[in-house]
Amino acid sequence: MADAVMAGVQGAEIGNQKLGRLARMRMADRTFHGITFAAAVAVLLLLGGVIFSLVWGSVPAFSTFGLGFLTTQRWNPVTEIFGALAPIYGTVVTSIIALLIAVPVGIGIAIFLTELCPPWLKRPIGVCIELLAGIPSIIYGIWGLFVFAPFFQATVQPFLIWVFGPIPILSDIFAGPPYGIGVLTAGIILAIMVLPFITSITRDVFDTVPPVLKEATYGLGCTTGEVVTKVVLPYSRVGVIGGIMLGLGRALGETMAVTFVIGNTHKISASILAPGTTISASIANEFTEATGELYTSSLIALGLILFVITFFVLAGARLLLARMNVKAGN
Amino acid sequence: MTVSTLQNTLPEKISIKNLKFFYGDNLALKSINLPLYEKKVTAFIGPSGCGKSTLLRVLNRMYDLYPKQRAEGEVLFDGGNILAPGQDLNLLRARIGMVFQKPTPFPMSIYDNIAFGVRLYENLSRSEMDERVEAALTRGALWNEVKDKLSSSGLSLSGGQQQRLCIARSIAVRPEVVLFDEPCSALDPISTSKIEELIDELTADYTIAIVTHNMQQAARVSDYTAFMYLGELIEFDETSKIFTAPGDKRTQDYITGRFG
Repeated sequence: MADAVMAGVQGAEIGNQKLGRLARMRMADRTFHGITFAAAVAVLLLLGGVIFSLVWGSVPAFSTFGLGFLTTQRWNPVTEIFGALAPIYGTVVTSIIALLIAVPVGIGIAIFLTELCPPWLKRPIGVCIELLAGIPSIIYGIWGLFVFAPFFQATVQPFLIWVFGPIPILSDIFAGPPYGIGVLTAGIILAIMVLPFITSITRDVFDTVPPVLKEATYGLGCTTGEVVTKVVLPYSRVGVIGGIMLGLGRALGETMAVTFVIGNTHKISASILAPGTTISASIANEFTEATGELYTSSLIALGLILFVITFFVLAGARLLLARMNVKAGN
Repeated sequence: MTVSTLQNTLPEKISIKNLKFFYGDNLALKSINLPLYEKKVTAFIGPSGCGKSTLLRVLNRMYDLYPKQRAEGEVLFDGGNILAPGQDLNLLRARIGMVFQKPTPFPMSIYDNIAFGVRLYENLSRSEMDERVEAALTRGALWNEVKDKLSSSGLSLSGGQQQRLCIARSIAVRPEVVLFDEPCSALDPISTSKIEELIDELTADYTIAIVTHNMQQAARVSDYTAFMYLGELIEFDETSKIFTAPGDKRTQDYITGRFG
């Protein structure tokens, strides 16, 4: 009987100890919850703050020029007339050129690495691509300006002008003279810069295709090409498009390298060999000279526009993916 | 290997002769000799790691996808050695279909899953293709369940349906041999029995090899059974014989559940 009472007391003590520990654990849990929640909210606040300051800063520009800011090509700091059309055009066109080059090459590399490459070559190529991604953009800039542009001016550009000269519409797109620097040069440099992103993401998503699915495709008698185009690409298209969008995001916002090689002219030319400018290049070039309130505000407005473009690119990509998923029935 | 008592005059669709298989330096199959009789079901049984799946993957040279895996010996398929270097793998795999352990529907519609393999080799008109797809799905015992939703994704089907879709896909290209690698191990009993019935019906036209861990399944669906252990073929005989009067002690121990 006494033993039983003792046991009961001990049991209660152990119970109390447990309760105490439980309470402490709950406390730690709540603290942890609070910290992580605060971190998550901080991101929202940060984004909100950036948007707010961009909008606030661009109010003078938009109230002076209205929506005409978006459709005017002129950019004259002396008379204080600013229009964003040329940088917007340059941003979009250089990014399109970059993707036109980098997407096929990047996907090609990824296909080679995952499906065809002999094992001993896999690592060296993979490492090279990672290294390409690690090069700071300023290096692409000086390389582009001092090495690539003169070479381009002497060889490729005259060739393009010569080849496309006699063809009606293309002759306007590739009209001379060969400056070396210009929209096409910037697009090519951008292509080299986004290539590693597209390649490494595409390679990673190709690797997620279950081997048994590939085996099943080979099992029907498919060639490697058929396996890639009919099964690997459809299976991983979400990731591939994600990789392309990431590359596009980088191309749209890339500043330093583009500023070096694009020529920085607020002018829209039909020819992609002509110099132009992009949003980020304009801002980087002119923020030190922007003395007046309107000038500064116009540059901030450019920043806001870039932000909006990037936002719509991402939203568009999501929409596209959602629609493709519905179409595929999942 | 215990010498088989069977005096067989059945035609051999595939004859495996002195087959050795290596994963790197690791010998996984030790001198296998085995016939697969035409339009019969041959089951490969044995504990995990005994090499039965490996053997199956030699038959359509699926191992070729992976470096460091190689086979020695001869596998005669209608008299030609499929291990010969000049073998056209795409054609071989079209003639020897394979169904995997987990269902592997392609990320496309049910219709396209079937039509995909057919398009590789034949140019059919729309109506001919429709017929072919219907025939394959009917053969795969799936037509009644999917005929109203041919355009929805193959991934939207249940596991058992997906597996039947894969079987239908394999037979749509009109192979001569179909290899089943544990086709029911990821399925529920009802789906399993449907697939077993299906295999039974397929023997009218196809030579079938099936790897299974389920001995009842081997007993139910196969005409011949090969028992393998540690990379060796221990015994090959008529299924009824293997399951009633096995010639080797190890076979008996395995089928009565004493090991494995």
